[in-house]
Order: sequence, then C-alpha cells, then structure tokens
Amino acid sequence: MSETFVIVGAGLAGGTAASTLRQDGFDGRVVLIGAEKHPPYERPPLSKEYLRDESSFEQALLQPLDFYGENGIELKCDVRATRIDDREKTVELDSGEQVAYDKLLFAAGVKNRQVPTPGSGLDGIYDLRTVADSDLIRREISPGRKAVVVGMGFIGSEVAASLRQSGVEVTVVDRNKVPLRRVLGEEVGRVIEVIHRDHGTELIFEDTVAAFEGTGRVESVVTSAGHSLGCDFVVVALGVEPVVEPLVGTGVEIDNGVVVDEYFRTGVEGIYAAGDVANHYHPVFERHIRVEHWQNALKQGQAAARSMLGGGEPYQEIPWFWSDQYEHNLQYSGFHREWDELVVRGSLQERSFVAFYRKDERILAAVAIDRGRDLRRSVPLIKSRQRIEASRLRDPDVDLRKLVTAANTRL
Amino acid sequence: MTEFVAVAGVDELEAGEMRAFDVRGVKIAVANVGGAFHAFDDTCTHAGCSLAGGDLEETTVICPCHGSEFDVRSGEVLQGPAREPVETYETRVEDGSLKIEG
Repeated sequence: MSETFVIVGAGLAGGTAASTLRQDGFDGRVVLIGAEKHPPYERPPLSKEYLRDESSFEQALLQPLDFYGENGIELKCDVRATRIDDREKTVELDSGEQVAYDKLLFAAGVKNRQVPTPGSGLDGIYDLRTVADSDLIRREISPGRKAVVVGMGFIGSEVAASLRQSGVEVTVVDRNKVPLRRVLGEEVGRVIEVIHRDHGTELIFEDTVAAFEGTGRVESVVTSAGHSLGCDFVVVALGVEPVVEPLVGTGVEIDNGVVVDEYFRTGVEGIYAAGDVANHYHPVFERHIRVEHWQNALKQGQAAARSMLGGGEPYQEIPWFWSDQYEHNLQYSGFHREWDELVVRGSLQERSFVAFYRKDERILAAVAIDRGRDLRRSVPLIKSRQRIEASRLRDPDVDLRKLVTAANTRL
Repeated sequence: MTEFVAVAGVDELEAGEMRAFDVRGVKIAVANVGGAFHAFDDTCTHAGCSLAGGDLEETTVICPCHGSEFDVRSGEVLQGPAREPVETYETRVEDGSLKIEG
C-alpha cells in the first residue's frame, strides 16, 4: 500500500522537502500544508529587494505555480495544522479536515515575538514575516515619511536600511549597546552601527519602547528613557520564537523548538522536524543548535526528506547566512554563543574584513563584511575544529585554504 | 560572423584562476579550468555581484555575495539563490593571446 508523507509548514524547508521527496523517487502521497495563501517562497527579499520594490513576488517563489500539481504534491494553502495526534497518526487542520500520515515532517518555522506594549493595537504598526506583511510596509514607504524601527537584529537592521534607501527618515530603538550584539558581539556590532549612522539613520541604544501613542493611528513612540519619537509608521522586529503548538500533547520533545537528532528524527517514530523550528544535534559543534536562516532551511529540507526515505547521512552542514545592508554584504558562518577571542583579518574600520570567533583557539564562527571569498574559505577551518594560530589567520599573505591540514581534519 | 576580442596573454591567467574583462562594455569573466578557458557573464543573475571575485572549484564558480553556484561551461545554476543561468561565450587561443567572443 502506498504511504502518505505529510509536511506541516510550506516555507523553504517544507517546500524543499516536498520536491526532494519526488526528485528522489518517492511515489506515495505527499501532502504539504501551509498557513499562508501562497505556495512556498523565499523570505530573504522581503526585508530587502522586495521591500524596496526592486524584485517581484514571482521571483521569490520556490517553484512555478504548476509544479505542485505536475508532481503530485497536494499543496494545501491558507490552512493551519492545529493538532498532531501521534497515536492515531493524524494531523487536524483548522478547516476541520483530518489528514492521516505514515511519516510527518514538522517544518512550521517560527513566528514573530510579541512584546505587550501599550498602544500596540494602533494602526500603522507592523512586523515582518510574510509577503503580506512586507506588502503592508511597502504601502507606507515614500520619501520624507518618518518611521521608527524597534529592534536591531538582522530583520530590524535590514528593514532600517531598506527604508532609508527608499528615502524614509528612520529612527531605530534597540535595548543593546550596538546592533546585532547577541550574534556578532560589540566590536563587529559597532561597525554595523557606524554604517547605519553614515547613511543618516538615527540610532537609540540601551532603550526600549514604553508605549505607542496616537489617535487610531500611531503618531509617536515613547521610550523608557523618555524620548518621544514622532512617526508615520512603525516596524517592530524583536525576534522570533518556534511554532510548536500543534505538537503539544504528543511524545515529541520540545525544548527551544523541536528536538531532533542529526537525521532530523524526533523521539517519536515517524515524526521528523527541519528548518527554523528544528533544534538539531550538530556533530561539528557537539551540541543541539537551532538556526533561523535561508541555507539552513534549504539544506535541512533536502536532508530531512532523504532521512524520511530511509537514506540520508548525519547532517553536518556549517550554518551560513548573509545580510545585505546598504552597499555592504555581510556573511556569517558557523555557530557561536560565547567566545574568548575575536581575530580580525583585514580592517574593521575600513569595513573590509573577516573576523573569527575563537574559543580555546578553535574557530567556532566567522563573520565577514564585503569579503565573501574569505568567508567561504573559512568554512573548512570551522569544520576541521583545528587549533590555528591567530597570527596566521590575521596574515593577509597566508592563504586561508592552506590552513587546514588533512591529518588533523576530524570530519 | 562571430568576432573574437583579445583580452589577455594566455599565460596571464593561471589554472584555477578567474578574471573579469571588459569586452565591448560587457563584463565577462574567464575561468582557467586545467588549461581550458571558459567565459561567462561576470555579473551574477541574482544580485549583480562580480563572479570573478568569488571562488572557482573545478568547473563551478561560486558567487562571493550570496553563494549562488554556476557551471562555468554551460552557465547553468547549480545552487541558488540565483534562478537564471549566466550567459556563456566562446573562447579561443591564437598567437599566445586569449580571445573572447564579443
């Protein structure tokens, strides 16, 4: 009898998993369930080219519209999985429908974190996750209008840059000392800060929003330190949290997302998870990690599909992402939370560098501004887990490709 | 008739290296893959970065900005985010110089 594989979540991970199942010859039923109205699409342009009206939605689609029908993928859009029953092996949808599965891939992604704030119900306050959100913000953009962006992580930083590039007067409020402090630390965060200031964006740090004020529509943002920022609209970008509600009551372990092994298997037979939601074991970092970026969703969608088909290998891709802000291209690879030394190759001041986050002389991660080639060449250094002298990393005459010695390569 | 434009001496581009040339106003990258020259549009179809500034791994060029990968022989996309292939051009070697269709 033919098997049914159900994929909950039609983002990049879910959409890629569905097409990989077919590419790899799965001839059972594939059901792909997405909460949005649209077939799977890529989100990176939503805070950049698409927001600035430089690219179309069609360009962001993962596959042409007729792909799903032609490949026998049952795409159910605009419907949410509300509950998964791991004993009966069914998924309940908010349409009332129930879908039975033999194997299930949970790729429901993340949702924007909501911080209760007085006045947050006023019109003109947005957050950004979907193309519908990006469309609403696009309607507010015109030169000379005033915007406040709340939060300066990657989405906040990119939105601020895109608004500014579109002629909007932008003020950003962030609770940290520098942008992107949690991921990049203060030294690199400072470089990002200066880039934004140089483009005329007002930045307010170590402050939070106390209230949004206005009559019907937001007119100003009041901060805890007492600033009152007049504005035409607001974009809130305070991070995300995993969507795990449909799995509550199942035997699947939930801890910072859905806990899976290096094959994307949960502890419950037949249930897998991938993408932003998956807190997966990573053999290189020897710990569970959860990553919320494009390449991660793409590669994990492929790998999880192969695992569902009984094949696949332990997943050990090194996480990598980019962020374009103004004329600069930032890239990051690896995974780090704490480090004891930042080794810089190039110049922070000249905004052309790759910097290595090291702990016990091992490189956990690297970040580069306008040095994509160096960043790419750093990935094997991270993967090798070798101890490499800081002086050699700094030396521009040393070829990064020659720093990994085969004898020491563990993976 | 296809015309060829001389852009460099054959020995100016070592095996495993890439360089971009301006050929009648178009930026064209040339990759030397083990002595064979492959020419293609230098401008990535995804966001316009210079592919010659990226890495060449055998016959694959990797964009330095967003990691898109193209086959230098066919221009075909091997990995996104780019969706559209890059144009390729014929090359030939004559009298010690490298020439590109232009």
